[in-house]
Amino acid sequence: MIRFTKLLSVMLLMVAAVYGQTSPPPPSQPRSVEFPKPVEQLLPNGLRVIVVERHNTPLVTVSLVIKNGGEVDPPRLAGVADLTANLLTKGTTTRTATKIANEVESLGGMLNAVAQWDATSVSVEVMSDKLAPATAILADVVRRPTFKFDEIERLRQQYLDTVTLSLDEPSSIARFVGAKVLFGDDLYGHPILGTPESLKRIKQTDIVRMHRQYYRPDNAILVIGGDISSADSFNVAKRFFGDWIKPKTRIPAVPAAYQPDPQKKSRVVVIDKPDAGQAAVYLLRRGIDRKDADYYRGIVSNSVLSGYSGRLNQEIRIKRGLSYGAGSSLEARRGVGPYVASAQTKNESAVEVAGLLLGEVERLASAPPTDVELTPRKAVLIGEFSRNMEAVNGLVSRISSLALYGVSLDEINRYIESVQSVTPEDVRQFSSSRLDAKSSDIIIVGNSKAFLPELQKRFTNVEVIPSADLDLNTKDLRKKKSE
Amino acid sequence: MFSKAPVLLTIVLSLLFSLHFPVASQTRMPQIQFNDRKLTNGFRVLSAPDHSSPTVAIQVWYHVGSKDDPNRRSGFAHLFEHMMFKSTRNMKSEMMDRLTEDVGGFNNAFTADDVTVYFEVVPSNYLETLLWAEADRLSGLNVDDGNFKSERDVVKEEYRQTVLSPPYGRFEFLLQQKSFVEHPYKRPGIGSIEDLDAALLNDVKEFHSTYYRPDNATLVVVGDFEPKQLDAWVDKYFGALSKPDRPLPRVQTKEPARKGEVRFTEYGTNDLPAVGLTYLTPAQSHPDTYALDIAQSILGVGASSRLYNALVYQQQLVAEVIASADSREDISIFMITAVLSEGKKPADVERSLLAEIKKLQDTPVLLAELNKAKNQLITSQLRERESNDGRALALGEAAVLLGNPNEVNTDLAKLQAVTSADVQRVMRKYFTSENRLVLHYLPEASKSTGGATK
Repeated sequence: MIRFTKLLSVMLLMVAAVYGQTSPPPPSQPRSVEFPKPVEQLLPNGLRVIVVERHNTPLVTVSLVIKNGGEVDPPRLAGVADLTANLLTKGTTTRTATKIANEVESLGGMLNAVAQWDATSVSVEVMSDKLAPATAILADVVRRPTFKFDEIERLRQQYLDTVTLSLDEPSSIARFVGAKVLFGDDLYGHPILGTPESLKRIKQTDIVRMHRQYYRPDNAILVIGGDISSADSFNVAKRFFGDWIKPKTRIPAVPAAYQPDPQKKSRVVVIDKPDAGQAAVYLLRRGIDRKDADYYRGIVSNSVLSGYSGRLNQEIRIKRGLSYGAGSSLEARRGVGPYVASAQTKNESAVEVAGLLLGEVERLASAPPTDVELTPRKAVLIGEFSRNMEAVNGLVSRISSLALYGVSLDEINRYIESVQSVTPEDVRQFSSSRLDAKSSDIIIVGNSKAFLPELQKRFTNVEVIPSADLDLNTKDLRKKKSE
Repeated sequence: MFSKAPVLLTIVLSLLFSLHFPVASQTRMPQIQFNDRKLTNGFRVLSAPDHSSPTVAIQVWYHVGSKDDPNRRSGFAHLFEHMMFKSTRNMKSEMMDRLTEDVGGFNNAFTADDVTVYFEVVPSNYLETLLWAEADRLSGLNVDDGNFKSERDVVKEEYRQTVLSPPYGRFEFLLQQKSFVEHPYKRPGIGSIEDLDAALLNDVKEFHSTYYRPDNATLVVVGDFEPKQLDAWVDKYFGALSKPDRPLPRVQTKEPARKGEVRFTEYGTNDLPAVGLTYLTPAQSHPDTYALDIAQSILGVGASSRLYNALVYQQQLVAEVIASADSREDISIFMITAVLSEGKKPADVERSLLAEIKKLQDTPVLLAELNKAKNQLITSQLRERESNDGRALALGEAAVLLGNPNEVNTDLAKLQAVTSADVQRVMRKYFTSENRLVLHYLPEASKSTGGATK
């Protein structure tokens, strides 16, 4: 290796070149971009077909969205919706599981089926000249799944393993407990993958019923996006879904959307897990639904609190080193979704972190952020949105979500300006009227010995449940003595 | 890059004879229209406008990688990459994170055997800011002993996390190390604790001035920008950087051809034995690379691939098996690794792996299987190239590693053109016993009993 001696002079010379500008140049005006305009048709059987053309890469994403998901899991049968979705690709009346996998691999694609809250989606991405064969497989798994016993048992075991594993993690326990405390027995109160108890109760007939009731053309949206023509896409949609028969029965009404109980007292719940290396600290309250007029004010307010440079992480990680990361989310669903602020910290600092979560949410309600603070927080939202829209599957998933909630599809071209238009005062108002910290629930999962006395000094209504007695199937979260 | 995580295949499926014959795609592969500009100081700029989303990807490729680690300083190029996130002439430590993450973007870097790449994706109106920042760290670092030592500790943790801690981390490390006898590729890029400890602050300064110079850098910009505006900003921030007179040192060492099978047995903390095979294959720019990529896909990609079907599903000899055409600038290796199932013998696994290789040498693959491999490879390439970031990576790789940016517009067509005869030819040419290295990686516990080695 050759060694050089005149290092210093070289360094200085190169440095001089840009010495003129010692601070970063500011951004220029945000640039505007026109995202492609989706077109749509309603098939006679009630299937809504949406096509969005984008021709820069020869790929196509096909996504079939069923307009229900985990929220229609019957009582005591949490997990049916996701299990049903997952089983679609495990065999149909014309293809075995092996054949489905082999055919999809041969097309160079991947087939995914998953239930979320409010929706179930089955999607495939392939080169655009394979639109027809890929849609053929997609239609087959959606319309003609067999739900074989052995496949159900194999998946049930996988789900049980996953759920059991997550019930050993403080943060997942806190999320599950939080949902139950906030939503009780309403739509969003259970774990979407089920509980160990509910998974054991699910029978083949429950899965078949879920499929029969909700997988129907008039309860579905087909979104095709990418390097395809809309005429071809509509033809493919008709060819593989046109003869999908709309049942004469009605689509079951979704159980009444979550109506918050104004009398509901906020709870402080501790799940005592003596072997927890860290405590998970969660603050939850009800947030907004997707059609709320305050949607954009809401997501901008959340972004002031969340993200690496958001206030929660600033205070908890960056200033105090109490956690690897703190953040929050505002999930807007068909019904009112949750607002969740959370961090993991050592057991001893659980109360301090709970206080900081509460304090930061309250602080945002009491004074508007400055423009200097708000501008980069909006940029984070716009940047994430824009990066997501680079790939066609991001475009398709954004359009699917708008269609699912009955929001105008033009919204993709209004997102950026809607975020930009939120003012500091909007943020303060939203935070004070919609994110009142005092009515939040607090969940702490950890070794309570390290923090309980201090917590009881601060709150008078602390409930302590040993993790061994935890039952996610009931509102009071405790296993019945008799069981 | 150091830690190629093993792909865990969890779904057990067999390759059944199917009436469905995949056809090769007739799709015309997309062309990336790019500008190729060279400043008088040797700084190269490749740029491709695309206005489909208001974001821009910025990458700076330095033609220096782990193979250029100074003598007794293995791991240094990577350690150096970490230092580029510390203080520069006009930026405080971690400022790059603030300039990207806080405006809705991201940034990172990677060190490979042949190159070091720094990349950002930001909203397009922040392009100028990032060009300034990249020019600033190209022009000079502010390193001191404190931040050097703390970052060196971070890299030592990374060594422990990627090599020592994963059960098969050391196996992969050894396989790479033993695959070369002369070429500096024999020193894995993560380095060694001793060499990292030996590194000095002065090494950082020296490395920077040796390799971080405008004529050893390629800027790639893809996304939402105006070409004229970009040119003006590039001139403003990179144009005045001077090109040193000294020649750029380049690795000259040639790896000799293997002259007979080489075998090793090593012991580790793993519970189950692993078997690794490597074959020396030509440089990435060699035309056989395309057929080798197809062979990799036929052997190892997906639940219907040959090795998965034979060893995992049919014979149930191994828990996982991976085939990887590991292409590099000077000389490549084709690697096959397998982690055994409980109670199985490494010798049996080795025999089965060699039998699958022999099948590909003796019998040409059927068209359906060839087309499946092409569809899988091309679709995954297209998916990667959908984003501005992915297109910039493809463009940078073509320019810096293949020596011709326009390869980005011909490579997928070349993949499509590979025939069954090509696959058979490369299998016969490279997968010979003379060109084979075999590593058995056994549990420490089996050493005393000598049980599992047979």
